[in-house]
Amino acid sequence: MKAAARYRRLNWAGQAPLLTLVILCAVTALLNDRFISPLNLTNILVQSSIMAVIAMGMTFVVIGGGFDLSVGSTVALAGCVAGMAMLKAGIIAGVIAGIAAGILVGLANGLVVAVVGVNPFIATLGSMVLVRGIVFIITGGAPVSGEDGLPSAFVAFGNSRLFGIHYLVWVPALLLVALSVVLHLTPYGRRVYATGGGREAAYLSGIPVAQIVASTYVWCGALAGVAGVMLAARLQSGQPTAGEFYELTAIAAVVLGGASLHGGEGMLYKSIIGVFIMIVLGNSLNLLNVDSYWQRVAIGLVIIAAAAADRLRSRA
Amino acid sequence: MHRPDQGTITIGGRERELASPHDAIAAGIVTIPQELQLVPALSIAENLALGDLPARRLFGAATLVDRARMREDARAQLAAFQFAPDPDLPVRGLGFAEQQIVAIAKALRRNCRVLVLDEPTAALESREIARLFAILARLKAQGTAIVYVSHRLEEIVELADRCTALRDGRVAALACRGEFGTADLIQAMTGRAAAQRAQTRTAPGKVLVEDVGARPDAISLRAGEVIGLAGLLGSGAERVLQRLFGLVREGIVARVGDRARRLKNPSAAIDSGIGMVPRSRRLGLIMNQSVADNILLPSLGRLHRAGLVDRRAGRRLVAELMELLDIRPRRPELKVRALSGGNQQKVILAKWLARRVEVLLLDEPTQGIDIAAKQQIHALLRDFAARGGGVLLASTDLSELTRLCDAVLALRHGRIASRIDRSDGSERIEEERLHAAIVA
Repeated sequence: MKAAARYRRLNWAGQAPLLTLVILCAVTALLNDRFISPLNLTNILVQSSIMAVIAMGMTFVVIGGGFDLSVGSTVALAGCVAGMAMLKAGIIAGVIAGIAAGILVGLANGLVVAVVGVNPFIATLGSMVLVRGIVFIITGGAPVSGEDGLPSAFVAFGNSRLFGIHYLVWVPALLLVALSVVLHLTPYGRRVYATGGGREAAYLSGIPVAQIVASTYVWCGALAGVAGVMLAARLQSGQPTAGEFYELTAIAAVVLGGASLHGGEGMLYKSIIGVFIMIVLGNSLNLLNVDSYWQRVAIGLVIIAAAAADRLRSRA
Repeated sequence: MHRPDQGTITIGGRERELASPHDAIAAGIVTIPQELQLVPALSIAENLALGDLPARRLFGAATLVDRARMREDARAQLAAFQFAPDPDLPVRGLGFAEQQIVAIAKALRRNCRVLVLDEPTAALESREIARLFAILARLKAQGTAIVYVSHRLEEIVELADRCTALRDGRVAALACRGEFGTADLIQAMTGRAAAQRAQTRTAPGKVLVEDVGARPDAISLRAGEVIGLAGLLGSGAERVLQRLFGLVREGIVARVGDRARRLKNPSAAIDSGIGMVPRSRRLGLIMNQSVADNILLPSLGRLHRAGLVDRRAGRRLVAELMELLDIRPRRPELKVRALSGGNQQKVILAKWLARRVEVLLLDEPTQGIDIAAKQQIHALLRDFAARGGGVLLASTDLSELTRLCDAVLALRHGRIASRIDRSDGSERIEEERLHAAIVA
């Protein structure tokens, strides 16, 4: 499909998110020269890294035609479970336990949505509240950091660099490459797109749509688990209140990246561009000393504008 | 819906600009599209009155809908069509033919001078078509002009006083009643004389798929056969196809080749070498995906190397099939949504040819598509059978069944009422015999 790829590359309408990001950066850089300082750019990268991992998981679910509100709570659960397991059995066990907790939440969401058939909005709204409750039960509401803090190697992972770039930034970079291969080059990935694009038609083409839909929630849970472990490393503890409103930022980023909430459309790298738009916008409003209440208004408007632009484009 | 890029529209002697569907309705032009614009959950009376609900005032202030008057109006209007349903029934409880009458009645309420019908008979049985034609004849006598768009050329010849044949967006021919027959129309529309049906028929080979155990609608399909399923709505023809494609809950057992297989879902049916072309193209295609992606969808499991989709093999297969089926334009990256109905239908067939199925189940495969594509699809199905495939075709288009099939099963109430074979040596099944078998 080389011709197809060439056609897509020339198609600038599909690059609106990238264009938005470039313009946003250019305008901010002109208005405030602190924006392009290495410190600020590093900050943006590190801030974006955790959200990028969550947004990639959300992209799987959205392409499959679904929706996941529980990722914020899952981030907190994974962070706390990872911290508790780490204090007892070491770093590797902690990381595995954290990600496994995320997979478990994803599996539960997937079964309720795909097999039982509950509307994804309601199902994941329920699990969002439920999982947050579990986090408070297992931690008693207190941060997980033990007597002398989490293992120092783990804390170092949250703060140090490899080849001048934070470990936290390497994680989404490597995941982006690996998961793009899964979505675009494997039969499984093509089936995810087909299922989201037309569930009934996909079923009539012999695709096990229930399994495919459930699997997208498992990806989402697993990646929220990874994000939770990353956040715990950065905060040097498992925080039961961590990750609040992350689900909304992630969904907004995916939509900004041009994915359709009707399913069947979306790209991982564009969702990450969406994350950058959200983070850079916040950073830029901070640098420009915009009042934090007004920042919320501005971010809300951007999300609505992105969705509206998408509607108008598809109508034309 | 579209602004004219050239030319003018004259209504009642005056030049008019129709900027929106509202302008058209105000000018007395009402269109009944293939997909009826009714609200399924509302009652017949409410649908008819929608837009100008009769109001009555309560205590001189609050406005309420005058339900009694609405019901009376609905009854009176539908009586003119010899149709007397309970006006409180929700529209979704009606059959398509009845919904269409409601839509026409609704159109006439609004001082309609020109009634435009787009493929009105695409989903109708022959009896319902006769009723529709009677209604149209009466409207014509009352002074309503009717624009009738159809791919069913016999209908045009029967109904139209004047006829315009279009090809590639241009007027290819104009003719008045009596001056044209179906063959002339085909020539005008396709730009070539009606293709002679040079059909190679082969003797049927081994059984490809067969029901296990006795049942009133048992099917046996052999290699090289094209079997038709005919019947009125609810006769069970569609059900037979669904059963063989694993779409009924119990999941039947059928003998496929020489093995008994449990067809519990489409995936199992496809693995047994059965492909289905559903009645609605929306169920056969992922509309927002490319032609190539759609064609390869059922074959993904076979087209991979080291866990990745073998894109080169896929590209070659897609190119071959687009050439073979003459899918236009030849752009595999185009979204199928952008294709014409006929080409979309060919993409669905390409899907199953790519998968190399042995049995094709088709439900109204040529409904609402143009005559050239219809002929190509018919030729393709004959060719598929000639190469040892089996075709099971459900259709309400009797001329399609008689032309294409080796035998037609007439279904009534879920039972096979009779089987009509093509007499030896004849080109086609006699349409009269088939018609008699269905309505008997």
